[in-house]
This record gives sequence, C-alpha cells and structure tokens, in this order.
Amino acid sequence: MSTYDIAIVGGGPAGLAAAERTLAAGLSICVIDEQQRPGGQILRQPPATFSVPGWLGGAPYRKGRALLDRVSGDARLQWLGGRSVLGVMPDGEGFALTLSGTAGGIEQVRARRVLVAGGCYDMPVALPGWTLPGVMSAGAVQTLIKAQQVLPGQRIVLFGTHPLMIVLAQQIVEAGGEVAAVCFAQPFAAMARTALAHLPRALRTPGPLLAAAAGIMALRRAGVPVRYGAQALRCEGTDAVERIVFSNGESIACDVAAMCYGFLPQADLIRQIGAEVRWSDPAGGWEAVHDEAMRATVLGLYVAGETTGVAGSDAAMAEGALAGLAIAQDAGALSDGEAAAAIRKPRAERQAMQGFIDLLRSVADPRPWLPQPEPETLLCRCEDISAGTVDRAIADALEVGPSFGASAIKLRCRAGMGLCQGRTCEHALVRRIASARGCREAEVTGFRPRFPARAVSVADLLEGAA
Amino acid sequence: MKEAGVKRVEQGVTRPAPVAVELDGAPVMAHPGETVAVAVLSTAPRFRDDRSGQARGMFCNMGTCSECTVWVARGDAPWRRLRGCLVPVEPGLRIRTERPEA
Repeated sequence: MSTYDIAIVGGGPAGLAAAERTLAAGLSICVIDEQQRPGGQILRQPPATFSVPGWLGGAPYRKGRALLDRVSGDARLQWLGGRSVLGVMPDGEGFALTLSGTAGGIEQVRARRVLVAGGCYDMPVALPGWTLPGVMSAGAVQTLIKAQQVLPGQRIVLFGTHPLMIVLAQQIVEAGGEVAAVCFAQPFAAMARTALAHLPRALRTPGPLLAAAAGIMALRRAGVPVRYGAQALRCEGTDAVERIVFSNGESIACDVAAMCYGFLPQADLIRQIGAEVRWSDPAGGWEAVHDEAMRATVLGLYVAGETTGVAGSDAAMAEGALAGLAIAQDAGALSDGEAAAAIRKPRAERQAMQGFIDLLRSVADPRPWLPQPEPETLLCRCEDISAGTVDRAIADALEVGPSFGASAIKLRCRAGMGLCQGRTCEHALVRRIASARGCREAEVTGFRPRFPARAVSVADLLEGAA
Repeated sequence: MKEAGVKRVEQGVTRPAPVAVELDGAPVMAHPGETVAVAVLSTAPRFRDDRSGQARGMFCNMGTCSECTVWVARGDAPWRRLRGCLVPVEPGLRIRTERPEA
C-alpha cells in the first residue's frame, strides 16, 4: 500500500491550491477525486478525448484555470481520479483511506495527513413534481454544458434564489440553448436593498460584482427574461416535466426546470472521521469547524474550500493555500518563519473577499423563499418517502420526547436510507424537525455518518478485504 | 415515451467518432469521453421507474444524488450498479435502466 505525506480529497480549486503548496515544500501527495480529470465542479473539464478551445474563457475562471494548468501538469502529483473515498480511518500515525473506483473495484491508500476539500453540491429542494425527469439541479445543467458539451433540454427554466442563475443562463445561451426564463423568488427591491447594505465591504473585491452586472446586461441583449418575485410552486408533466407553475398562477413551458437555491457543503467524510461540524447558514448542511490555519478538530485532518462553508472558488483557492502551508509546517517541511511569511498573502486575500461573500450569502438566502412540498411529495428520492410520512414520523417522535434528531426519523420511516445516504433529504429533515421542535436547525443532530460514504457493492468490499 | 431534448454543442467542440453502446438492448451512439448518463439522456429523460411506477431522471450530475444509477456491464463482466454520470462510455458497453436478468 502506498503511504503519502498527504492525501487530498477533492481536486477542485481548494485541493489544487493545497497541492501546489505541499508539492513546493517537497511532500509526497495524492489527490483523489470522483471525476476523471482535475478541476472540481467549477472547472469541470471536458474529457481528454474532446477538444474545446474556448472552454471557460471568461474572466471569473482565469485564476482557477491558471492554477489548474500549473498543478495538473506537475509530474510529482499522484492523481487518483475516477475514485470515491468511502472512508477515512485513523491508522497508526496517520489515516487509511478506502477508495472505490467509480466503475468498480476497491483500493486503499495511507497518508500521514488528510485534507478534505470536498466542495459542495446544489441544495435539493422538494417541491411538488420535482421527481419528474427534466427537473434537476442548476449544477447538473452547468456541468453537462462545461464538461460534456451537452444541453439537457430545448427550453430551460432556471428558478431559485441564487445569482449563479445569471452565470448559468449566459452559458446556456452561449452553448446555443434557449433559456425560457430566469426566475428569482426574491422581489428585485429586496435583493437590491440587501446588496446595497453590503456593497461598501464587497467592493474590496469588485471582480465578481462587475461580472454579475455584465451577465445581466448580456442576458438582456440575448432577450432572456429575468423575473423577480417569481416563486416556484410546482413542476408539472406526465412522463417528464412540461411546465413550472408560479405562485402568481403563471406557468412557463419547459423540458428542463433547473433549481438554484444555494449549495450545501460535502461533509460526509469529515463527519465520519468525527471532526466537529456546525450547521451552515444560510443554505444549510454541515460545515467543518477549523482553526486559522485550516486544521479541523481531529489531529492530522485539514479542511479547505466549500467543505468549510460555501464561499466560492476564489475563497477556496486562498483556503487551500493556507491549508497547504499549515500541512507543510506541521510536517516539518517549512520552518515557522517561512510559513508565517508565506501565509500573509493568501490570508489577506481571503479576508478581503469576505465582504462579497457576505453580500452573496445575504442576497441568495433561500430560507424565506423555499417552495413547500405537499404531503405526497417525496422528500427522500431514494426510498420514495413522502413529506407526509416524514411529518407523521416527526409527530410520533415528538410524543416520545423533544430531543430527537434526524437518525430517529430515519429509523421510523426509512428517509435517508437509500443510495444517496441522505445527502438529498437530510437538510430537509433537519429543517422540519427544527420547526416541529421549535428550535434552531443547529440544535438538531443530523444522520449518524457511517462508512461507506458512497454506495459500493458488497462483492467489491469483500474482494478489497481479501 | 418522452422524446429526448438533448442537444450536443457543435460549435467549438471536436469529439472523437461515436461508438455503439447498448442501452436496454438497443444500440445507441455515443462519443468516447461522454458519460453513461449522457448516453441515456440522449435517448430519453427517463433513467428508471420508482416504486410507484413513476418515471425518474437524473438530478445532480456530480455523483452526489445517485439518481442516475443504472446497471452497466463491460463485455462479459457481471452487471454493476453505477452512477451513470461518473462512468465514461466505451465501445460495446451494455447499459440497462431496469434490473437485468442474472
């Protein structure tokens, strides 16, 4: 079995920035990712068999692409793509990681230290009709375009609260697709008021704001309707989505309805290891608790990027650099003085971004605008458990006592027991439990995280153990 | 069944020549490097039926939700349930949206 100084889980901006710093310090590293090629979701690359000369040419991607070019060309980097991390276990003075190939097979690697830079995923929001084919996450549409160079439908509606919809709508138009409408649930005045309150601090890093303004202008030129105060009620269709209906009674015909209410940190592994997490506002999910140097609460475990709270790829790169420097320092490959000098720039960059991050989080806050499921709407898409069934389980649990968490509801009704291991429905269960108990989400215990973090065949596990 | 609305972006993209894979017993052409999920999506938005017989499609395209899980076999190797969005196609790959006979 190979032993690395550092295993980096996630080959996106955070993982690549950490890889760059740890390689420079002379440490041996591997980077593990479910995708075949590095870049993460934000820089999801087309297959090596494709040629796409104009791929992600815009200014917001420039810094990340430069990092990707620098690091992915480094022959010292051991790239373990096409692999999921099922578990991370303490092992002597380090960790043993169990990996499964995305097309099958099990392997193990050992590392003295582990950085989890697992990124984030679109918040799945249960509204009536959301299980119809063609209703998907905005991230699905975006990664299909970026990496597969495929438009999933002929007439795409984007709905939600997150300004990423502006970027995605542009990408759909540039790819030759039709955006029927971009529907923000928030009224324009509310968005503008929130943005203005944060503007002075956000202007310390004006790049993303200028990109957003340019994006809105580009959509106007392309004739894409952008609506505000358009709250999605339900998706309708027989074998697939045919229209989305809004609270004002209006319906828009479409063959893809893509939701964009924010992003949840990928937190399975850090929770499985036993590192401390906290409820992540505003979109929810669990983010890793860490110190100034990106050390998690378990010795030898580090975190960076969206795993620590969703803040975008520029923040992820700065945090990855900080984590890489801390790892090099803790491994004795950098002196305290060298580390202290090197962290100044990424730390200052990360701090300068906070104004824009706070603005985006406030403007995009989905909580007042989340569509509600009907009793028969499925909350758990894997086990087909409806909101009504979950609510009955919560009511039954309340009769026993008020201190139950998500696992108690899972045991009562099987929500969260399927292939996705609760990544889709856990946040919804936590919200409904908090509401029933009359407490904050942060006070509700989530599902007990277990090995394996991704579904794997028993035959593969037995073979791997042999 | 609902027709696919999928469109491959042509402008500015060069793909290798398509190869034949088998989807639910029928041949489907896909370009090497494309995922099993795109091969399925290129024929119809449905990936499976749920317990109540309702059609279901893919959702996240990033390996997180498992909604695109299908049965896949390479050559004579046994069937595996895999997330279609993470597995590239290869010539002769067999894909089933329903449980294959053993």
